Amino acid sequence: MIPFLLWALATLDTAFAGYREAAGRSALIEKRAYYRRAMLRGAIFGQMAAAAAGAFIGAFYLISSDPARLLNDLHRAGWRMLCVYLPYAGVTLAAFLVRLVPSVDLRSLTSVLVFGPFTLIRPAVAIAGGIWAVAAAPRAEVLFLVLLVLALMLSSERIIGKLRGRVL
Amino acid sequence: MFPRYGPEISDAIISFDPETLERRPVSKQKLIRRFNLLGNRTAARIIEQIPARDDLLDPAAVDRLLIAAHYELQRMSEEFQHGQRVAEILRPLLLVLRQGGVRPPIRIVDIGCGTGFIVRWLAAHRTLGPDLELVGADYNVALVEEARRLAAAEGLPCAFVVANAFQLAEPASIYLSMGILHHFRGRHLVRLFAQHNREGTCAFVHFDFQASVLAPFGSWLFHAARMRQPLARHDGVLSAVRAHKSRDLLEAARAGAPDFVSAVYGTRLWGLPIPRALHALVGVRPVYREGFVRALGRRAALLGSIQ
Repeated sequence: MIPFLLWALATLDTAFAGYREAAGRSALIEKRAYYRRAMLRGAIFGQMAAAAAGAFIGAFYLISSDPARLLNDLHRAGWRMLCVYLPYAGVTLAAFLVRLVPSVDLRSLTSVLVFGPFTLIRPAVAIAGGIWAVAAAPRAEVLFLVLLVLALMLSSERIIGKLRGRVL
Repeated sequence: MFPRYGPEISDAIISFDPETLERRPVSKQKLIRRFNLLGNRTAARIIEQIPARDDLLDPAAVDRLLIAAHYELQRMSEEFQHGQRVAEILRPLLLVLRQGGVRPPIRIVDIGCGTGFIVRWLAAHRTLGPDLELVGADYNVALVEEARRLAAAEGLPCAFVVANAFQLAEPASIYLSMGILHHFRGRHLVRLFAQHNREGTCAFVHFDFQASVLAPFGSWLFHAARMRQPLARHDGVLSAVRAHKSRDLLEAARAGAPDFVSAVYGTRLWGLPIPRALHALVGVRPVYREGFVRALGRRAALLGSIQ
């Protein structure tokens, strides 16, 4: 369950990173297809990032002298990450639900109270989740994976921007 | 944390002859000195990055920068549903104008339209009726050309002109603007309203930031989170800092355009003591006052005293 939730959050986060990266770059009025493509681009990057993390976990598992303990530590670290990232994602998704209400003021309020501030604090939340995870299982493999995930999360918009118009 | 003094960079890096609309050269060093003297080092640093030739800012580079900044502004307008906000006021206004016998097409002119987001949004959503002529006017050729290009790309029924909106051959039935009022101070603001007194002009709706204690912080937060262009970030925050108070806007409108009755619309959120980020100064010819208030329905509660 923990790996699945982390993968789902990674997919969601990178899809929104794709949206943010594309926002403000097209001044057309009708942009639904444009944003769909942007979110898909982000989500595909998310799969690449998840695959990279998965490959490293597999490699660590194969070379570990105590694979069961490694898995246990990874689960504990993953759970700690979820404890930080799930509430953040939950509030964001709840704000999207509120935004479905056709009220200009209510929609603007979701931006003022959630989307704007949450975009600003995202790097801090990402780092907090990483530190909390490493604290649960302080070992080299966990530290490496957390650093990898943080590097990918914090540079996701930049990388997706480079993918735009080239590969995806 | 916030820039405290004007002008905005986007106003300073470009200059037009007000009569001929011809573009005038802008000295980069003079501008940097000006901002340094104002203590605005951020603005000076941003201008340092703009390419120049023989100390004159490169017009093409300035245009590219302004277009990019307008793209980001549009993103913010979309997030804050600005198109819907404008339509919300235009709908009752148009109803009362039609009932009052204004002959179609009813001409809506956006003053300082930039890349024409509002005009294009209204044209794309077609919710206000088929009897409208939507026009955007701006001094900046590059912005107007971009607005035309974007409108053509989506086949939108609207027009953009390089012109002073108040000197068009055909006056607007309704003048409209977003975020231009705070660019005018003192007697210039009064003079702006005085120009609305044209035969055939029935109303005006001017949206702008609302001055409040929270406005500069809120604006900083959003511009930091959403804008990539340092110029857009700087000017966006400064706009909120320089926003006029509702009272000052009303005084200027009533002094400059005494043939209209005016009021500020949407200052508070749901009648609570929470200021809305944007408010609108609305003016109508006295003959349309009662009809307009009636047509607003329950939204009339959002309208201040119209006189």
